[in-house]
Amino acid sequence: MSKFSINNLECVRQNNILFQGLNITIKDHGLLQINGANGSGKSSLLQICSGLIEPTAGEILWNDKNTKKYRYEFQSNILYLGHTNAIKSSLTVEENMKVMHAMAGTKSKIDYSIILEKIGIPNTNEILTCNISAGQKRRVGLTRLFISKSKLWFLDEPFNALDEQGKKIIEKIIIKHCKNGGIVFFTTHQEMEINNYPLQNIHLGNNNA
Amino acid sequence: MLEYINIFYVIFKRDLTLTFREKTDFINSLAFFIIIVLLFPLTFGSKSELLNTIIPGIIWISALLATCLSLETIFRSDFEDGSIEQLVLNRYPLILLVSAKILAHWITFGIPIIVISLTLGVILSLSNEIMMALFITLILGTPILSLLGSVMAVLTMGLHGSMLLSILILPLSMPVLIFSTIAIQNASLGLPIVAETYFLAGILILAITLAPIAAASALRIRLS
Repeated sequence: MSKFSINNLECVRQNNILFQGLNITIKDHGLLQINGANGSGKSSLLQICSGLIEPTAGEILWNDKNTKKYRYEFQSNILYLGHTNAIKSSLTVEENMKVMHAMAGTKSKIDYSIILEKIGIPNTNEILTCNISAGQKRRVGLTRLFISKSKLWFLDEPFNALDEQGKKIIEKIIIKHCKNGGIVFFTTHQEMEINNYPLQNIHLGNNNA
Repeated sequence: MLEYINIFYVIFKRDLTLTFREKTDFINSLAFFIIIVLLFPLTFGSKSELLNTIIPGIIWISALLATCLSLETIFRSDFEDGSIEQLVLNRYPLILLVSAKILAHWITFGIPIIVISLTLGVILSLSNEIMMALFITLILGTPILSLLGSVMAVLTMGLHGSMLLSILILPLSMPVLIFSTIAIQNASLGLPIVAETYFLAGILILAITLAPIAAASALRIRLS
């Protein structure tokens, strides 16, 4: 059983208090949606949780161990996907996936074609990523969800640039991951159709509004 | 252990592939280097005595300037497309991944500079002793430039223009320039260059040990 908790977290950006005294504890199978208006600190919260940026106050614990102290132990359990796709436009789709695979550190062999088929862009292995559309690029970036074996996912606007069909695929993989004991944090501005799974919500208000 | 070697190789190979596919930056800095070196024989005439004294120094200064140009690109695309977040939030030590990037930079920049310098040396009919000293100083000096420069490249990332990068790198690489040019002067007078070589090697070892650590911490600071 893994546990991820945030204690008394505070984030101040340019003298604006984005959030203060934030406490969250989430265990296996947890699915948490972070809501809030633009600029309310959703992305900052995900970046702080993943350890990309430092909170102004508070601590983040993974299995009761401070994630800053046990950085690499924590980092081998997470997958963070930001607004950007983190794919290289001069590499082919498959070359990009090979890099993702190596960085994910999973030893198992992976059939890239099957993953591409699952995510709805079959037979694109040899195409340079600069030659595909924004939605397709997003899908290539999201193949990390299939490649990674990490338990804890932080997804910042995963549905951006995706069409309905793409959105459904990603929703399905998120729920499947949670059912298998994973934990997912995500933000979105789109309507989610998750009816058959308990979804937790937190709302970040704009304190300065 | 094998895992670490594998990830190092993957990042290294990725950067090499990227450099060779996005040729412009790579070719620009090398072309810049060649043009600067060739400007001097054009303006000072082609007396071999004069060229033997000034060209090695010119090659070194041009290499420094070209380094500034090429280093600007080492982390740029990673910052733009978000790959940097994936590198930082990885199960593998950031120092290792940064080292792979620096090595890839040296292979695609340092080695061509050495090869071109020696070719230019032949074209400009430098003496054998000078060529030898030039080769030794470049092979020890260019990795130092890549290592030092990568730290500065991270620090100046996103602060528009490469001017600041040059202003930071040039003063810091002065020791390298001084030891190299002294070595070349000594060589041209038929004196031994052992002391300078040791000094350069010492600086190189120091840079190999410390620069990746500094670059990795600078990266974390830049992101937050």
